[in-house]
Amino acid sequence: MVIDDSRAMRMILKRIVAKLNFEAVEAGDGQEALDLLATMTEVPELALIDWNMPNMNGLEFVTKVRSEPRLREMTLVMVTTESEQSQIVRALAAGAHEYVIKPFTEGAMIEKLALLGLVPTGANS
Amino acid sequence: MSVETVVTQDDLAEMVEQVWASYLDPEGVSPLLPTGDDKQPTEVHSTVSITGTWHGHLVYASSMLAARRAAAAFLAMDADEVGAEDISDVLGELANIVGGNVKAMLPAGCFLSLPTVVLAPETASYYPAAERISGLWGQWEGESISISMWQSVKQGEAA
Amino acid sequence: MTLSQSDFEFVSAMVRREAAIVLAPGKEYLVEARLIPVARQVGAASVAEFLANLQRKPNPADQRRIIDALTTNETSWFRDREPFTALTDVVLPDLLKSRATTRKLRIWSAASSSGQEAYSLAITMQEQLPAGWQYEIMGSDISTEMVKRAEAAEYSQVEVNRGLPASQLVQYFERAGAHWRIAQHLRRNVSFKHMNLTTPLPAMAPFDVIFLRNVLIYFDVATKKSVLRNVARLLRPDGWLFLGAAETTIGIDDNYERVAAGRTSAYRVRSAVPAGAVRKG
Repeated sequence: MVIDDSRAMRMILKRIVAKLNFEAVEAGDGQEALDLLATMTEVPELALIDWNMPNMNGLEFVTKVRSEPRLREMTLVMVTTESEQSQIVRALAAGAHEYVIKPFTEGAMIEKLALLGLVPTGANS
Repeated sequence: MSVETVVTQDDLAEMVEQVWASYLDPEGVSPLLPTGDDKQPTEVHSTVSITGTWHGHLVYASSMLAARRAAAAFLAMDADEVGAEDISDVLGELANIVGGNVKAMLPAGCFLSLPTVVLAPETASYYPAAERISGLWGQWEGESISISMWQSVKQGEAA
Repeated sequence: MTLSQSDFEFVSAMVRREAAIVLAPGKEYLVEARLIPVARQVGAASVAEFLANLQRKPNPADQRRIIDALTTNETSWFRDREPFTALTDVVLPDLLKSRATTRKLRIWSAASSSGQEAYSLAITMQEQLPAGWQYEIMGSDISTEMVKRAEAAEYSQVEVNRGLPASQLVQYFERAGAHWRIAQHLRRNVSFKHMNLTTPLPAMAPFDVIFLRNVLIYFDVATKKSVLRNVARLLRPDGWLFLGAAETTIGIDDNYERVAAGRTSAYRVRSAVPAGAVRKG
């Protein structure tokens, strides 16, 4: 699941995860993502989450997901331009598993996903 | 004197280089070449505002063609397939990315607004009681692009 | 001005051989654009002159500059992961026993480039060594510019995104303007020296672990032999040597023995390995 208010950023992220054989659904903000999750029978393995979005920001989304037992297995990765040390600490404390700062290269994103065990060996090149 | 020049032209240049390397020029063959010409005309722009312990704006401005090419690069489309909505989206995201990195260099306790995009020259927007404290002006594949930082004067002068 | 076909073939053969990177035809403009600053740096009038000199008189330093220029952003934290995992899972348990009296480890990151490997080693030590143990990491590089960069310990946003877990970014780095700087508590255990591995090395206390990765690929067999011989003098008799995944001592220097270390291999000086202590790889 790719959650970002920029369609262009969602496209970039979808292209990257497609290389790792993930099929991605999109949402433009945290609330839309929660609404979408409520309709899905199968919980996505991974969510890439922007921080600054209208309606519900990424940090609130992470907090909500963490309080929802049904969504416990989701791996949460913040992908955001918020880059102060204190913000990273907040996101990790709220339950994000990883944090990628924009701008990121495709290689950097794949390496981060590899840290989370989401990259099949051999795909990382 | 404005509050210490917190974000210099060199800082902006480095952020721009990283944005280019990540999205607009991954092969490193068409960089943004600085011209230093702060009068170069622009046709579209986007702004993010920073509030909190520091007040001001970060403005990304470019020619229409540069914006179209940037959108095409982000969306992996041909430049002539790109629509106005795509251009707005990408301009907003560019201001957001640079703005967030700028914010991290400012005193702690700042907030970043969502971007505002205007498909009109930079001069169409007016930032009340703010002065430009730094900027980067350049050409990308022959098209104008600029990034500038504005600080609310009240806060800067009160110090 | 574009690269001639023969110059392009020379460069693409070199990077294929030494870095396993394939430059497809049509990338001439890319090679040219990347090599302009390199040619300028070494004082050549043009890329063509730079490549002509190099073809006449091969030299590893310039070869390395070319590879670096064509593989920008390739330097990751904990690059390749496996050697760091092996260090934690296999090598440290061994050294914690054998160095229990001195409680001090010395590790060398040979060809440390901009310092990511040396600092990744420091993070590993910081997290894995029991209280009361000390460690020293030395990085060395043939480029004085790289030594300065590594000492400055400042990395861009893009660089800290590469392979570094966010939890370690916040723990071992601090914001320094647009950059991130390695925290002082880590930096004080790490030093850098300018060093050419192909010439006799300065006298130093020997090391318990040496990371000599992706260095031998740049050298011919004779130079590989002398580098491995130089390095062996600085490796403790029961120490561990890590090479790059595409490198080996086999067929080059019989004083080393390859041993399995986790999912990768390490090398140890032959006579020192007690029989049966480690499974052969």
